[in-house]
Amino acid sequence: MIRIVTLSEFPPDVIDFVSRRLHAAYGMGCELEGEGEMPKAAMDDEQSGWSAPKVVEEMDDDVTLYADDKILYLTAEPLVAPPGPMGTGPVDGFAQYGGGKAVATAHGLGEKGSLPLDQGLAKRAAHYVGHLWDLHHCFDPRCAMHPGWSPGFAQYPEVALCLFCREKSERKIKLGSS
Amino acid sequence: MAQKSQEPVIGDGSLHIGDRVVYPNQGICRITGVTVKNISGQNWEVVTLSREEDGATVMVPKAKVMGIGLRKVADIGAIDKVFDELANPSVDPQLDWKIRHRENADRMSGGGLFGTVEVLKGLHALSRVRPLPPKERELYDSARHLLVGEIAAAMDIPLHVAEDNLDYALWPPEGMKRKGKVLPAATLGPPTPMRAVGDEDDLGFEDEEGEEAAPAPAAAPAPAGDEAEEAEEEEEAPAPRPAPAKKAAPPPAAAKKEKEKEKPRAAPKKPAAAAKKAPAKKAAHAKKPAAKAKGKKK
Repeated sequence: MIRIVTLSEFPPDVIDFVSRRLHAAYGMGCELEGEGEMPKAAMDDEQSGWSAPKVVEEMDDDVTLYADDKILYLTAEPLVAPPGPMGTGPVDGFAQYGGGKAVATAHGLGEKGSLPLDQGLAKRAAHYVGHLWDLHHCFDPRCAMHPGWSPGFAQYPEVALCLFCREKSERKIKLGSS
Repeated sequence: MAQKSQEPVIGDGSLHIGDRVVYPNQGICRITGVTVKNISGQNWEVVTLSREEDGATVMVPKAKVMGIGLRKVADIGAIDKVFDELANPSVDPQLDWKIRHRENADRMSGGGLFGTVEVLKGLHALSRVRPLPPKERELYDSARHLLVGEIAAAMDIPLHVAEDNLDYALWPPEGMKRKGKVLPAATLGPPTPMRAVGDEDDLGFEDEEGEEAAPAPAAAPAPAGDEAEEAEEEEEAPAPRPAPAKKAAPPPAAAKKEKEKEKPRAAPKKPAAAAKKAPAKKAAHAKKPAAKAKGKKK
């Protein structure tokens, strides 16, 4: 089961759209679990955004997760990530690889050159849930696992996994079923 | 049966119990000890490793530790060079599948960091020219998995940040710099034949669209054995571009029939699998978008 927790206000039809698309992409149940707030401790030191890894880490929730449960936090706030060997780049979410929690942001969606809110958020959500199932980035621009900053991500609004990613996620889901 | 030795010398002496090491094709492991195992009546001294990803135990005969390519996790200097290499865009993909397969297999079994980088970069470059066949797609994923794991372990950063950084180098976003030099922003891959022409070149998306309507678990793409794949590759390798042009001559429907003739074993399986699994999934879909707002999280 994919459980969605909203950390900002979203229109109900957007959340409905996201959960339908997640269900179609992974064949798992998806439901709105509740609402929450961004943890204050996750604010980046430079106040430029919320540290995505800290948001996932600091969220204190009482949801019981089973082996195949995943929690997805949705926010509209800008996210940042710690700098890596290439410095800092665009960040639209964070996931614990093979773990249980991920966060995706709607920040920047609906602007010129990007996807509309519902489609963009659904595609980002599918991307980060994919990481929770150990999927890596995919070179296929039509796949939801394609990097979010690449032009292919906005070019293809449909939320779908390529055949390879779909098969891999299905294998992982079967192994992880409780 | 098993006993622990006190001060074991592992490999050439550079490895110690507790070290994080890279096991070729397995990923990051931690050396947990050296024990003696009785196997088929013989006592073997084995080094036990615990794979960090899932905790699986791997045992390697002590005498073979260096031979199999077990090595320490790369240091930050080596990772820096990896990113220099990844950010350097000039790579001509090897188009001869035989050479490519042999080279990639050698690099992966060797277990070297830069071997894995070359595999990833080579296949990435190839994927910009044409879709990868299933086995190379898997190899691409394994190389990526190993590299992301090693970058994360070496730099002590989350796997997610490691992979994002890897792709900042492979698919640079607008304005991304490497050592002060602006990298050319990633462009959209070449338009796939399916979109541009029709359905001449099967990329597997046709299957997916079918499944979308009836979301059955991946109707396996033509269970192409080695021979079929190689035959396909051999067709493509010498001249990857002209191939679709030849096929494009007959109308799409005729081309499809021809294809079915070519792959008599594979074709009948797809519809069967889809037809079987369709109803169950459809039924499940109806209840899904349950939006129950539980208590507030903090």
